[in-house]
Amino acid sequence: MSITKPDISLPRGVSDFMPDAAAKIGYIEHKIRRVFELWGFRRVITPKLEYEDVMAIGLGDELKGKTYRFDDRQTGRLLAFPPDITPQIARIVATRLADWPLPHRISYSGRVLRQTEIQTGRSREIFQSGVELIGLDSPEADAEMIAMAIEALQGLGFENFKIDLGQVEFCRGVMAASGLSGQSLRDLHMAVARKDSSAVERIIADNDLSETSRREVLALPRLFGNRDILDTARQIASNVRSRAALDNLQNVLDILDIHGVSEFLTFDLGETRGLEYHTGITFEGFVPGLGEPVCSGGRYDNLTARYGHPAAATGFTFNVLSLLQALERRPDVEASTTRDFLLFNCKEDRREVLEVARLLRSLGYSTARDIIHREERASLEYAKRLNIRCMLVVGDETVLGNYRAVRTHDSKTKNFNSDMLMSDELKNFIQEGQGD
Amino acid sequence: MSDYITIAIPKGRILEESVDLFGRIGINCRELLSDSRKLIFENSAEKMRYMIVRATDVPTYVEYGSADLGIVGKDTLMEQGKDVYEPLDLKFGYCRMMVAEPANLAKNDDPSGWSHIRIATKYPHVTESYFAAKGIQVEIIKLYGSIELAPLVGLSERIVDLVSTGETMRQNGLVEVETIAEITTRLIVNRASLKTKQERISAIIQGLEQVLQSA
Repeated sequence: MSITKPDISLPRGVSDFMPDAAAKIGYIEHKIRRVFELWGFRRVITPKLEYEDVMAIGLGDELKGKTYRFDDRQTGRLLAFPPDITPQIARIVATRLADWPLPHRISYSGRVLRQTEIQTGRSREIFQSGVELIGLDSPEADAEMIAMAIEALQGLGFENFKIDLGQVEFCRGVMAASGLSGQSLRDLHMAVARKDSSAVERIIADNDLSETSRREVLALPRLFGNRDILDTARQIASNVRSRAALDNLQNVLDILDIHGVSEFLTFDLGETRGLEYHTGITFEGFVPGLGEPVCSGGRYDNLTARYGHPAAATGFTFNVLSLLQALERRPDVEASTTRDFLLFNCKEDRREVLEVARLLRSLGYSTARDIIHREERASLEYAKRLNIRCMLVVGDETVLGNYRAVRTHDSKTKNFNSDMLMSDELKNFIQEGQGD
Repeated sequence: MSDYITIAIPKGRILEESVDLFGRIGINCRELLSDSRKLIFENSAEKMRYMIVRATDVPTYVEYGSADLGIVGKDTLMEQGKDVYEPLDLKFGYCRMMVAEPANLAKNDDPSGWSHIRIATKYPHVTESYFAAKGIQVEIIKLYGSIELAPLVGLSERIVDLVSTGETMRQNGLVEVETIAEITTRLIVNRASLKTKQERISAIIQGLEQVLQSA
C-alpha cells in the first residue's frame, strides 16, 4: 500500500488572504468606511445565511442563478449564502427598521458568494463595502451617493478615475415605445448592451417601427460620452418616460455641480448592465488600468416593497478586491503591511526588554518580542521577512545604557538612550528611506 | 502605460486589413506587417501600442483590460460571450457559420425532423445554444481544425463551421444545410477603457465609422 498525501486543497475561486494582502484589504476598507461615517452612515452586520426564498424575493434572475443553496436540517427549508447584501438591507428596513424615522443611512462591509463559470479564474467571494440611503426619492440622495463614491476614490489616491452615470428609465422608455416584444426585444437588449450598432440596425430593419422610435433605438448604442450627449439625447428622445429620465439626470447633475465633482463624470444612456432591481439613476466607477468597475450602484425604489414596506432608496457598493488590484503597489497601501519593532534581548533577565516594549507600545509603535533564543542575524532576517521595519537590541554590553536600533531594509544602525526613544529621532530613523 | 491606447490584433488577413483601415484614419501601424517576431509594437509619438495575439485570445485580453481595443471575428465573440463592447462591424472577413453534412446524406434529409444529432465543431457553445433553441439534442465533438474531415471518417454525421467560398466543403463532398449566423470582423472595446479613455476611443470609433460608411 502506498502512502498518499492527504488532499488539503482549497475549492476553486476562493483564497486565503495572507497577512500582507489582509492588511491592505483592511486599510482600503477602513478608508472607505471612514468616508461612510463622515457622511453620517451607520454600519449593520448582516447574517451569512438567509432562507433562499426570502433572499430570492430581492434578486434578479442572474443573481438567483449564482446563489449557493443547500438544505437546512433544522427546518427542511432551503438556505442561501447571500450573493448580494442590498436585499438583506431591504429586509432589515422592512422589518427591524419599519417604525424608525426616515431616512435610513446604512453602511455594510462584508463578503458575498457568487457562483462563477469554471476556468474564468474569477473569485467566488466578493468583498463589498457599501451604503444604502433609504426613504428619499430626491435627486439630492442620488447625488449624495455619487459624491461619496468620488470622495472615497479621491481619498484612496485615485486621480484619473471616472464615474459613469446612467438612467435605466431612459433605455426602458425607448424600448417600451418601440413596441418590440419577445425575441426581438431580447435581441435588442443584448445588442444595446454590447453597443453593437450593426445588430441594432438589423433588428430595426426586420421590424416595423415608427420613424421617431426608429431614431431613438438607433441612437442608443452611441449615447455615451461627456455631458454633450445629454443634449443629443434630448433632441432624439420623444417618449415621455425617456424625457422624464433625462430631466431627472439633469437635476442630479445640477446638484453634483454644487458638490464640485462634475469633472469626474461620464455618461452612458445605453447602459443596461445595472442589477434588475434598479429603477432610476445608476452609476459605475472606473479607474485607469483596471478592466472592471471598482464600484457600482443606483436607485432601487421598488425593492423594499417586495419585502412589504415601500420606500424609495438608493445605494452603491465598492468591490474591495478590485480596489486592491488597482492600489496594492502604492506606498501608503504597502506601508499598511509593516510593523515597527522587533525587540531582541541580549540578557537572560527579561525585565528591561519588557519595559521597553511597553514604552514603545504606549508611544504608538507596533512592537513584537522575539522571545526565541537565536543569533542576532537570524532575528534580523526574521524581522525582514515579516515586514518589521526595525530591530531594537536591548542589553548589549558594548553599548552600555543604550539601545541599538537596526533598520531591516538597509541594516543601518543607530544607538538610542531611553530619552531618545521618546523623541522624533526614533520615528525619523525607522521611516527614513521607506518611501513614505 | 495608462495614457496609451493598446490594440490586440490577430495575425494573418485580419492584421493586413486592420493596418489598412487604421491607415485611413491617420493611425500608421505598417510596422506590424514587418517580418518581425516581436509580439508588441509601440508608437510613442502617437501613444499607441499594438499586441499580436491569437484570434481566440483577443476577447480575453480586452475583457481584462490588458488591451483597450481588439479586432476579432464575430464567430469568436459568439463562442466566448465575453463582456465587452462591440461598437463597430468592420465589414471585412465576411463568411457564414453553417451546419453542413455529406451530399449523399443531404439528399433525403429533413432538418425539421432532427431530434438527436452528432456534430463536430470548433464552436461548441454556439452549436449547443443554436440547437437547444430548436429543441434538438446535440452531441458535440470539439475539434480544433480540419472540421470537414469528421463526416468523411464517421466521427460525426454533421459539422458546424465557417464557410466563405464553399470550395473546401465542395471538395470534401459536403453541402450546406442551415445558416447559423453571418460573420464579419468586429472592433471590440474594454468597458473601463471606453470610460477612462473616452475621448480618444470615441474619436477612433467615429473615424472608422465614417471610413466604413463612405466605402
